[in-house]
Amino acid sequence: MTLPEPVETMASPLRMEYTFVAGTGRSVFLRGLARRQLLARRCPGCRMVYAPAPAFCSGCLLPTGPPFALSGRGEVATFCVVNFPFPGQVHQPPYVVAHIRLDGADTRLQHLVREIAPELVRIGLPVEPVWVDDAELDTSTTSIRWFRPIREPIGPADA
Amino acid sequence: MREVAVVSFAQSPCVPADREHDMAEILLPVLRRALDSCGLTRDEIGFVASGSHDFYEGRTFSSIESLDAVGAWPPIRQSHVEMDAAWAFAEAWTWLQTSKIKTSVVYAVGRSSLVSDLDQVLPAQLDPYLLAPLRPHRHALAGLQAAAMVDAGLTSERQMAEVVSRCLATAAANPNALRGGVRTGKENDAPFVASPLRAHDVAPPGDAAAVIVLAAGDAARRPTGRPAWVRGLDHRMETHYPGARDLTRSISVGLAAARAAEQAGFGAADVDVAELHTEYSHQEPLLVAALGLEKTVINPSGGPLAGHPATATGLIRIGEAARQIMDGTAERALAHATNGPALQHNLICLMAGEPR
Repeated sequence: MTLPEPVETMASPLRMEYTFVAGTGRSVFLRGLARRQLLARRCPGCRMVYAPAPAFCSGCLLPTGPPFALSGRGEVATFCVVNFPFPGQVHQPPYVVAHIRLDGADTRLQHLVREIAPELVRIGLPVEPVWVDDAELDTSTTSIRWFRPIREPIGPADA
Repeated sequence: MREVAVVSFAQSPCVPADREHDMAEILLPVLRRALDSCGLTRDEIGFVASGSHDFYEGRTFSSIESLDAVGAWPPIRQSHVEMDAAWAFAEAWTWLQTSKIKTSVVYAVGRSSLVSDLDQVLPAQLDPYLLAPLRPHRHALAGLQAAAMVDAGLTSERQMAEVVSRCLATAAANPNALRGGVRTGKENDAPFVASPLRAHDVAPPGDAAAVIVLAAGDAARRPTGRPAWVRGLDHRMETHYPGARDLTRSISVGLAAARAAEQAGFGAADVDVAELHTEYSHQEPLLVAALGLEKTVINPSGGPLAGHPATATGLIRIGEAARQIMDGTAERALAHATNGPALQHNLICLMAGEPR
């Protein structure tokens, strides 16, 4: 006797739309991106510099100080190379996703590192943002196309 | 059992849509008020439990954002339920029963407003094979329950309208209510949203945060006020498929209430006041019958029909019931919370002005 064929698949597509509320704190950072600025804020209690900054320090619960612009330069704090394809992928693998420690900030910003072969990226690599054209600027991290190595002379890489 | 009490409750006003604040920003002032009013600092809190739902936020692990308001560094003992925070309260109460921890904070960040269309999202809570593909209207299952109750003679459209009128009249005195006040009396001329339910029969969704502070034993006996002792708590869940249930009654409410009464030393019918998680007007007569509350004051806050910040609504019932004891209005109080469609999962909490 054979068992009936079990049902193995059924289509049930879900579509859900939401309003995203960034909050008063992170909205400051997002608005800065639309002006080509990376804005940071300092906790008056522990002196930690957040970028992006919440409205208040998550350690001290004190309101973070007034926003100030960072240079945008930083260095790769850690990174990985994305090698596999997945649905919705924007960039052609392999490409580098990195945590970037912006000069003057104590937090790390996640973004892409391009204009360098993935195998040459290393922790400590100095990088700078590549901003989109004016028409594409938005209250979004996509206002930065990616980060790239700083091209000016920086001394021997393996010093 | 260890003596555990609610020593503080605070909530933010329920608003139709908070478009300014993130989860932590909504929560922080409420958390401060709750701790200040019982004289505790965040360093003294032994356990933090919270409830919210990614399906209302549209992001995975969205609850982590709210921890920014708790001061979770260095790391704390913390837990989160992906459901109404009344169940976070149940978890915190259990921790206090089974550990040496003396105090606990329970919070909810209820955000009903971020979803553009609840009809897109609410079917996702249903059985994914037999019900979710049908994409029922957000009020369809409640409508089936209300129609079954009307047909069985357990309520009527008129009684449902009276429930709404009474709730909104008392909500006028509740500064946190989303809606309240005098009604025209012509509400039953309005069209159905899912017959026999009209718009007024449905709890209006909104945004609000709520915080409860729990303390055990001597930690609860503070000079700051009268604690509301949690004398009994239980929750029960019914089958996933609503078609397999008798929607006109609630077996789970009866079982949870019986177990809570065993712990408490008094039953639901003995309380002075009850706060019921009624997201629809017809659910009040159902719960009143299941709990024997015919002579009890129901939802003096206005209840969910005056404002429904999803996943905070149940915790606010516990807070409002506890408030009635803490301010001396009531000696015994009942709080009910629910999750799932048509009262699928129910929690009963019995509280009193004296420990057992």
